[in-house]
Amino acid sequence: MGTRTIGIPKALLYYRYGVLWKTFFEELGLAVAVSPDTDRAMLEAGDAASIDECCLASKVYCGHVRWLIGACDAVFVPAFASGNPRCGFCTKYQSLPDMVRNAFRDQLAEAGCEVLSLFVPDASKPKKVREAYLGLAASLGATPRIAMRAYKRALQAQRAVDGAKAQAQAESLRLIDQLKRVVAAGGDAGVPDIEADRAPIPILVVAHPYVSHDAYVAGEVVRGIEEAGGFVLFADETDHRRACKRSFEFSDTLPWEMNRELVGSILELQGDVAGMVVLSAFPCGPDSLFADALVRGLRDVPILRLVLDAQSGSAGVQTRIESFMDILQYQAKGGYLHG
Amino acid sequence: MADSSVRRALKARHKAEKRRHSRAERKADRHKSTKIAVFRYAYYAPAFKYFVEQVLDCEYLDLPKSTKRTAELGIQVSADDVCAPFKHMMGDWIEALEMGADILVQSGGPCRLGYYGEIQEKILRDMGYDFAMLNFSHGIEHGYFGWGKEVIKLVNPDIDIPHGIRQLLACGHMMTLLDKARDIYMAQAGFEVHRGEARRIWEALADDFCTSASKSDIDQAFARFKGAMRELEVDKPAEPLRIGIVGEMFTAIDETSNLGLDEKLMDMGVEVHRKLNFSNRYTHYNEENLRRGISDYVAYDMGPTSTLTLAAAKGYMAAGFDGIVHAKSAGCTPEIDCIPVLQRMSEDLHVPVLYLTYDTETSDTGLVTRLEAFYDMLAMKRLKVRR
Repeated sequence: MGTRTIGIPKALLYYRYGVLWKTFFEELGLAVAVSPDTDRAMLEAGDAASIDECCLASKVYCGHVRWLIGACDAVFVPAFASGNPRCGFCTKYQSLPDMVRNAFRDQLAEAGCEVLSLFVPDASKPKKVREAYLGLAASLGATPRIAMRAYKRALQAQRAVDGAKAQAQAESLRLIDQLKRVVAAGGDAGVPDIEADRAPIPILVVAHPYVSHDAYVAGEVVRGIEEAGGFVLFADETDHRRACKRSFEFSDTLPWEMNRELVGSILELQGDVAGMVVLSAFPCGPDSLFADALVRGLRDVPILRLVLDAQSGSAGVQTRIESFMDILQYQAKGGYLHG
Repeated sequence: MADSSVRRALKARHKAEKRRHSRAERKADRHKSTKIAVFRYAYYAPAFKYFVEQVLDCEYLDLPKSTKRTAELGIQVSADDVCAPFKHMMGDWIEALEMGADILVQSGGPCRLGYYGEIQEKILRDMGYDFAMLNFSHGIEHGYFGWGKEVIKLVNPDIDIPHGIRQLLACGHMMTLLDKARDIYMAQAGFEVHRGEARRIWEALADDFCTSASKSDIDQAFARFKGAMRELEVDKPAEPLRIGIVGEMFTAIDETSNLGLDEKLMDMGVEVHRKLNFSNRYTHYNEENLRRGISDYVAYDMGPTSTLTLAAAKGYMAAGFDGIVHAKSAGCTPEIDCIPVLQRMSEDLHVPVLYLTYDTETSDTGLVTRLEAFYDMLAMKRLKVRR
């Protein structure tokens, strides 16, 4: 050990478990190479290696894998299955290692690079998850003691990051609330540098983390909202456990954990935001049903639904965001007739 | 869950019966006049009928063959990017409700299918329909026990449970026999001497199954079918062209969804095989053992029907089949992820694979052209290899 480098593609579940993975391998004494941020070349490489019908997120993932082949000794591609029918994953996560092994068979063999993997049958059972990681560590030659220590530290690191994000969001909400009260009181008391009608409009971005936090995929959208006077809150940053629990108020058969967290977050925050932007990567299986459910189930909050594909121009997205924000601003002032 | 007025009415009716009649009286006549509809799915309608009439002891709503209108109704109310089975089912539900259905049965399943029921119920309610849905996505945490409870609560509280379980097993048996019969049919029908004869025998079996009321009825009907198939006059070459169909559970089997894929191949004089069916996926399915045979290609279970697709494809290739047809609905994630694996198998074992993606098409001309081209290529390949 020690000489090997593990490559982690910065896509899909990296945005959920990235810190855990990185810490875990480093604690085991391995070098870690994370692929850089997504760019056009990467997406094109991923697109070339993928079946046409794959979703954008999967193509991006393949692009990151392609980048890592040759830059590391083993690419880490884990599989997450839906052992729990209420808190599972899209089947994409389950098939990733075998898809990567087959799609890049020649390139992997040429570069002498292997696919390192683990199988998590049910992510809602912490003991089973730990078992999978310990098994992986053992296969890398770590002793049980080192493996356990590495996993515990990795888990702590991930929790710390998630906790910090949730806390930051709570703090933002508190400030938004405070601002609202100031505006309602009709003065700029206490917040001297913000005028009442230029107060930022809180917008909740509802998307899987690998969509909303990948600057190449959704950066344009987030920037567009901010430029139009919005303040962006991310639905995936709300405390996961609380959001997941809350989601059962909305749906009792929704099968995907990440979508549960999103809808739970919506229920927690919808009173505090002016509108929601629902983003999905084209064509997303879970979202094809989930977005429909949101639009049908939530009637009190304005929703803009955007489906993102690998477009090179951003004018279309910009226009839609601007008009959405305009509508929200008019609404805040009491509707068009009172503008 | 939203309590619909039908659901409430059913509950009230169950309660009133309880008040009016003693337990013994109720148990003497367990039959309920509730009309139950199941979505159209391949050739399994006789088994669905058996399930409703013999297990649930209710009235079965017999849906006629689906038409262009069915698909159009479904497309109109479904999201654009949802998979095709959802759209077909929506059409079925609307037609069933027009015909007076009280309860719709949604099976649920391992992928997006598990979420179908809830959304479909929501859409139909938004449209103003009133009904109850027996959604097997509920109660899944408690397995068969949870499903049983769901059935008793919603559909028929007076079910004779031991009888129901016996009939449920018979229903499973019928599914298995339907699959077996279909296998026999697909291997022979392409070579019949008198056109349409095999289809008549196959349809007679469906009719027979529709009037069966017990396991022995089912067995007798199947024996009659086997006898008739044995007597079918065929003109089969010593080594006919053989094609295996693999793919997604709904589209690769359902004739409406795949525009009669298997029939079209049979019409060209091909021996058709399809390992993918209900009994091979559910009744006797051992995923881990099935995966042993394809361990050169995959390490894990890749999702719903992936292992069956890949194992069947590898099996066909190893058995010297001429070609494979992979059929799936547009956007079916697990089957899309099978394609890279199928491509590698095809490279290694030199058997061509035709990939078909279906949405709710109404014309089959494009499909026929592709199938004919595929057939010609396979036939030419054979000549070349022989020489």
